[in-house]
Amino acid sequence: MFGYIVHRLLIMIPTLLVISIVIFTIIQLPPGDYFSTYVAELQSQGEAVDLQKIAFLKAQYGFDKPVWEQYLYWVAGLLHGDMGYSFEYNLPVRDIVGDKLLLTFIVSFATVVFTYLVAFPIGIYSATHQYSWSDHTLTFLGFLGLATPNFLLALVLLYVANVYFGISIGGLMDPRYLDEPWSWGKLVSVLQHLWIPVVVIGLSGTAGMIRRLRANLLDELHKQYVVTARAKGLPPFRALMKYPLRMALNPFISDIGSLLPHIISGAAVVSVVMSLPTTGPMLLDALRSQDMYLAGSFLMFLAFLTVIGVFLSDLALAALDPRIRLRGGVTR
Amino acid sequence: MRRLAVLAIALLAAAAAHAEAPAVKETPSLAAQVKGGELPPVEKRVPSAPLVTQPTEMGKPGGELRLLMAGAKDTRLMVVYGYARLMRYTPAYELEPDLAQSIDVEDGRRYTIHLRPGHKWSDGVPFTSEDFRYWYEDIASNPKLSPSGLPEALLIEGEKPKVEFPDALTIRYTWPRPNPLFLPALAGPYPLFIYAPAHYLKQFHAKYADPKVLAARVSEAGVRNWAALHNKLDAQYRNDNPDLPTLEPWVLKTRPPSDRFIFARNPFFHRIDPAGVQLPYIDQVTMAIADAKIIPAKTGAGESDLQARYLRFDNYTFLKEAESRNNYSVRLWRTAPGSQLALYPDLTVSDPVWRELMRDVRFRRALSLATNRHKINQVIYYGLAIEGQNTVLPKSPLYQAKFREEWAKFDAKAANKLLDEIGLTQRNDDGIRLLSDGRPLQIVIENAGESTEQSDNLELIRDDWRDVGIELFSKPSQLKVFHMRAFAGETVMSIDKGFENGLPTADMPPLELAPVSQQQLEWPKWGQYYETKHQAGEAPDMPAAQKLLALLRQWFDSKTHDERRQIWEEMLEIHADQVFTIGLVAGVPQPVVVSNRLHNVPVEGVYNWDPGAHFGIYHTETFWMAPDASTAASDAPNGKKAE
Repeated sequence: MFGYIVHRLLIMIPTLLVISIVIFTIIQLPPGDYFSTYVAELQSQGEAVDLQKIAFLKAQYGFDKPVWEQYLYWVAGLLHGDMGYSFEYNLPVRDIVGDKLLLTFIVSFATVVFTYLVAFPIGIYSATHQYSWSDHTLTFLGFLGLATPNFLLALVLLYVANVYFGISIGGLMDPRYLDEPWSWGKLVSVLQHLWIPVVVIGLSGTAGMIRRLRANLLDELHKQYVVTARAKGLPPFRALMKYPLRMALNPFISDIGSLLPHIISGAAVVSVVMSLPTTGPMLLDALRSQDMYLAGSFLMFLAFLTVIGVFLSDLALAALDPRIRLRGGVTR
Repeated sequence: MRRLAVLAIALLAAAAAHAEAPAVKETPSLAAQVKGGELPPVEKRVPSAPLVTQPTEMGKPGGELRLLMAGAKDTRLMVVYGYARLMRYTPAYELEPDLAQSIDVEDGRRYTIHLRPGHKWSDGVPFTSEDFRYWYEDIASNPKLSPSGLPEALLIEGEKPKVEFPDALTIRYTWPRPNPLFLPALAGPYPLFIYAPAHYLKQFHAKYADPKVLAARVSEAGVRNWAALHNKLDAQYRNDNPDLPTLEPWVLKTRPPSDRFIFARNPFFHRIDPAGVQLPYIDQVTMAIADAKIIPAKTGAGESDLQARYLRFDNYTFLKEAESRNNYSVRLWRTAPGSQLALYPDLTVSDPVWRELMRDVRFRRALSLATNRHKINQVIYYGLAIEGQNTVLPKSPLYQAKFREEWAKFDAKAANKLLDEIGLTQRNDDGIRLLSDGRPLQIVIENAGESTEQSDNLELIRDDWRDVGIELFSKPSQLKVFHMRAFAGETVMSIDKGFENGLPTADMPPLELAPVSQQQLEWPKWGQYYETKHQAGEAPDMPAAQKLLALLRQWFDSKTHDERRQIWEEMLEIHADQVFTIGLVAGVPQPVVVSNRLHNVPVEGVYNWDPGAHFGIYHTETFWMAPDASTAASDAPNGKKAE
């Protein structure tokens, strides 16, 4: 086991290196750089541009240097924990990202809890009551959830919430709480606003999870050991929980790998539509305006989390499922 | 070379400067701080010679103004809206002193700036000539902070001014030749700052600061060296440093990054109203950040008290619908480009056949005559725009009807006749005329592909041009590519915004009318030639263009307003006659959403960048919030008109 962990950890290094090259290349691919995008944006609003200031910044940040030199500079910074400097915000990247992470955590965590709370009971219920009237209804709702584009749902709910409940459009709290320290009123306001994004982001995930849980569980329920357990008089609930459900969970544990980056990045499209103060819109803006250190460092952070997440879920699977062996064919 | 005759023009705002200043009154929201000793009383805060501003309607101090913006960078717009400048434009586009008590101009080349005695920065430190000296000697002339040297507007043919600081309230700039760019640059929405808060910035300047402390500050800020730190903190325009003292009516209080920025009133602001109430009336401006695309929706939900930015003309119906529900009114202001969109036949295109044709004035006139502007106006702009050439707008003091109307009336017959005269009589089977080398007359109009507006316009023009035997293709590309092709002479024709400023006065440089920049799509190569000081591009070889350049040069050497006016008119005349650009419609309305509680916002105005500073020239410091909406609603129609 120890050798396996070390091996996996070492493999992360070349993986991340390759990812960093890909990220940097892709960010550099569109013509121009941050400053030309910035100048174009100002000009499109009819504003004046101080080209001298821009020349100063370009020289400061090494835009006149070859690309590989810029890349090395960036990577060297990352190794020291310096994520670089955002031109858009005119601040070090760490100061910007840190601020948004908390709210992203809240939204994503609430979404995960919502998904699990809704999906598990429903999934189990429809598997155990296969082809019943209630199973068909829930299945129908599940497909509806899968098929609705969530940005559309977001727009509809925003409108309803504003016109009927008087909740401000977009954002995660009433505008007057934005700069306040945390208080009871602010918490209530956040909770009032939170349900829309949570439902919207969570809906398709919930629907998908219901379907998968149902299918996995159905596979197990017809196996002989379940029949045996029942025949031997194990109470039905215990006979369900003890083995079939545990078996059905494997895919969810391997999902943790992708869950981790999701929690950090938030659902970008929905966040943009609802103008949530999460990291998703920030990343999108950074990519659009070619704010390369902000975009690059943040993507790198996500890649790092993905790699870690996959690693953790593999370990968890190995620990939870005794059937999994570290090397195929060694024990037979 | 230099004339010795000294002509002194004192640019004094007649009413403001001569009126006896009334006794000032304490602002209610600051009374507690004054009592607690945190602030000096109001008599000590305003300059001993304050600027008395006559509001449309006397207001009450207090209240909060809510704005919506799309990004943290937009904090700079408070500097635009606040519009406190050494010189500023009045709503009639005349220059008047503002921060400066007066500026004496001698011979167009010697400018003496007199500051207001007792004027203070927003932190209470006096605003003196030291702030000007620090900027000129330690910022603008420091190679680390300003590697590219002095700003353009301070150089006349590369020559630096002589700058003197005779006493604490006087600054004098002297050039060997007239510098007509100086005052307009000071009055711009993005002004030429020739001062900086020296007492604050010296802490970050290697010449004044303790090296150890400075090094610690640099590493703390995560920047590379002291110059980067100084430039980051010296954010008079960017306005993202809450510690930086300012002279604007509202001071940033929130440290970025944030999604909501608070601007509090500047307790040391230099303007008062005739009753002695210190301006601005509004205590606090709150700027909430939201995605640009959601701003029209949020505005419609009543979340902004004053909004024009990020609202487009096509949001008008939606905003109007929610007007009564959310207690605001939507006003339509004019925009000021010379033309919303204009076609640019490239006179310096590489292809010799096209070049010859484009340079034929009859061809350009024919294209203009063949364009049905009325149809475009009706179909796309609900008939609310002004049809005609790309030239100055009716509100500009330089306007003459013929500039806009000449060669702009739809007349396919006359267009056909002109095209026949040129000799484009051969046609192919589709009825398309043939060029002299036998190629069909197919014009590819390139654009940056940014909006559907351009393609909508072209779609309408396509039909009209077909009728005179010209085929039109639209080719959207990416902005950068679009520019590269135009600069290289590969573009035959392009579509883009018309003249940036449709509201010039004679005292603004007529730079857009002469070939001086490669950004001018009607003659990129001539522009290159001028910009690169004859290193690249081509010398203008059309008499009309040479004449325009000569006139521009004359303008720079001119000394009087009348002289400049004459030059402007002559240049506009040449443009109207030569049809270098084919304007479509101008003055497309900009929706402006104003809360019914907000007073003193003009009902009709012009929404423009320079001159205009968006709301800036309409004196945002006199806008005030009525506590009760019902009283305001009845007053709103009496608001000040733009002129």
